[in-house]
Amino acid sequence: MDFTFPKEYQLLRRMIREFVQNEIAPIAGKIDQEEEIPRELIDKMAKLGFLGVYFPQEYGGMGAGEMGYCILMEEMDRVCGSTATFLGTHIGIGAMAIYVDGNEEQKQKYLTPLARGEKIAAFGLTEPGAGSDAASIKTRAKRDGDDYILNGTKQFISNADIADIFSVLAVTDPSLGARGGMTAFIVEKDFPGFSIGKMEDKMGIRGDGTAELVFEDCRVPRENVIGEVGLGFVTFMKTLDINRFSLGAACLGAAQAALDASVKWAKVRHLFGKPIAHRQSIQFMIADMAIEIEALRSLIYRTAWLVNTGQPYLREGSICKVYASEVLHRCVDRAVQIHGGMGYMRDYFVERMYRDARITELFEGTSEIQRYVIASDIFRQVGVRISP
Amino acid sequence: MRIIVPIKQILDPSGITVNRRAERIFINREEYIINPNDKNALEEALKLKGEQGAEVVAVTMGPERADDALREALAMGADAAFLLTDKAFEKADIAVATTVLGKAIQKIGDYDLIIAGCRATDTGAGQLGPRLAEYLGLPQITEVRELSAVGDGKVRARCKQNQGYAKVESSLPALLTIAQDANQPRYPTGAGIINAYREWEVTVWGVSDLGLEAEDLKPLMEEKRISFPAEREFGIKITGAPQEAVKELVQYLKAGRVI
Repeated sequence: MDFTFPKEYQLLRRMIREFVQNEIAPIAGKIDQEEEIPRELIDKMAKLGFLGVYFPQEYGGMGAGEMGYCILMEEMDRVCGSTATFLGTHIGIGAMAIYVDGNEEQKQKYLTPLARGEKIAAFGLTEPGAGSDAASIKTRAKRDGDDYILNGTKQFISNADIADIFSVLAVTDPSLGARGGMTAFIVEKDFPGFSIGKMEDKMGIRGDGTAELVFEDCRVPRENVIGEVGLGFVTFMKTLDINRFSLGAACLGAAQAALDASVKWAKVRHLFGKPIAHRQSIQFMIADMAIEIEALRSLIYRTAWLVNTGQPYLREGSICKVYASEVLHRCVDRAVQIHGGMGYMRDYFVERMYRDARITELFEGTSEIQRYVIASDIFRQVGVRISP
Repeated sequence: MRIIVPIKQILDPSGITVNRRAERIFINREEYIINPNDKNALEEALKLKGEQGAEVVAVTMGPERADDALREALAMGADAAFLLTDKAFEKADIAVATTVLGKAIQKIGDYDLIIAGCRATDTGAGQLGPRLAEYLGLPQITEVRELSAVGDGKVRARCKQNQGYAKVESSLPALLTIAQDANQPRYPTGAGIINAYREWEVTVWGVSDLGLEAEDLKPLMEEKRISFPAEREFGIKITGAPQEAVKELVQYLKAGRVI
């Protein structure tokens, strides 16, 4: 067994870490406060290949696969939850849906500019009445000659305000349900009948815009159907399956940053005449963080290896997502506790981390739905079919 | 135009702790990087490549692990890379390193510019550039801040000299050493990193490839002991009566061109 990263990934991590430290760390607080990721930053990341890290070079990507994607998310979330969310949305779901089931023409036309970072992607699944229960979406797509006409509203869509290309799931045949009756479409922001609705005012990841997508008789050409008509739900679920463990990697980075900040603080903050590092209450919190982070690191990169080597990873992907987000939750909570009152102040990194972390237990499948996925996979292997 | 950039792989200083009392350097994390100043040299070469087209060749002498420094140079945009490695180089001093690199550069041949860093962070000697220029019989411009033009068989540069700057012109081929803060080296691109390890090649040359004799590999220096330099007191202390002290301070400030 060998736990060393291949050399290209070691250098990739160092490059990303340097970039993040030099280019993002100084402005991460501003990104949160001004609720915007500067376009120049996106362009710089695009130039280095970040926006196409996962995809093959023939489609304008970096060609670094799952492992590279995990490293990017981990390093990014050490410093800026908003930028990590932006990248995860763009790469892991928006563009990923086209990569997973798109045809060659769609990959050339849409995936390539997305991977190069010339265009930004978003992913339209969630609706006011359908989050974890994704099979109950209502957005309708009716056939009209060579086109489809979309009507409905998508909710809580990350990157919505800056995206150019949207992967969107709609119902094409209500009688057939999720498997058979739903179709995935590529929608361009300028398609008539498509608009961005209300912007959300969020607790954290405030730098990445979240908004509604509104479809009012939005005409989408038939060639923009991703995969086969009726099989869009499968495309979307496959996409989410791939992305799950990379979200875990992002949480790993943020948890590590919470630990690093806490260690630094414990060294300099004096209480009763000594740095608080000498207090057992602090030591135990630091140790508990380190224990969970190390366990998480092994889990994440073992899962990346499963994906890389073509083995099944459905259960592990969900385990990554739920465990990572909950480890992060506990780590940022401890970090704020260790920082005391300072940890509650906007000037401090851990205050932002605390707010940014909470979403990870909610988006892309809540912890509850992940537990259902894990349990259903376990029971399936013993011949029991369960429902959520 | 062909530009050769000699680079050196060094231990990442952020992974070491210096304990002055024990006179020891502790390695907490053994990681190697391209000497930062050599990255300035590489950046200058790559800028020229971008502006007027050039073939940038990175070359290093070192153990096998120095391959990583060359892969990084390729990922930054270098077109070719040469690793000079051999058991016989293990005890090389700066004179031997000059001969090995000099022979390799002659073998690569057909160069217009050699762009090097001013000094390596590990030894701080700052000898390689000037020695290499002497070995190859080339004109040299040291501590270059800005390369203003290359063309018509000439290179023009602004370089640090004493308290100020000088504009210098030289015929080609020439050797330049680039000052530490001359530029901000670019990041290697992601695809460059992947390709550097999966697609691109590093040429490896040893003693026989370079036609080196036993005499060439004999170090002139012998290391007896490594010790820490005496602790320095920073700054200048002015003592004495206030009136005299002020006069002395003004003199220092004038000499330093502060006032």
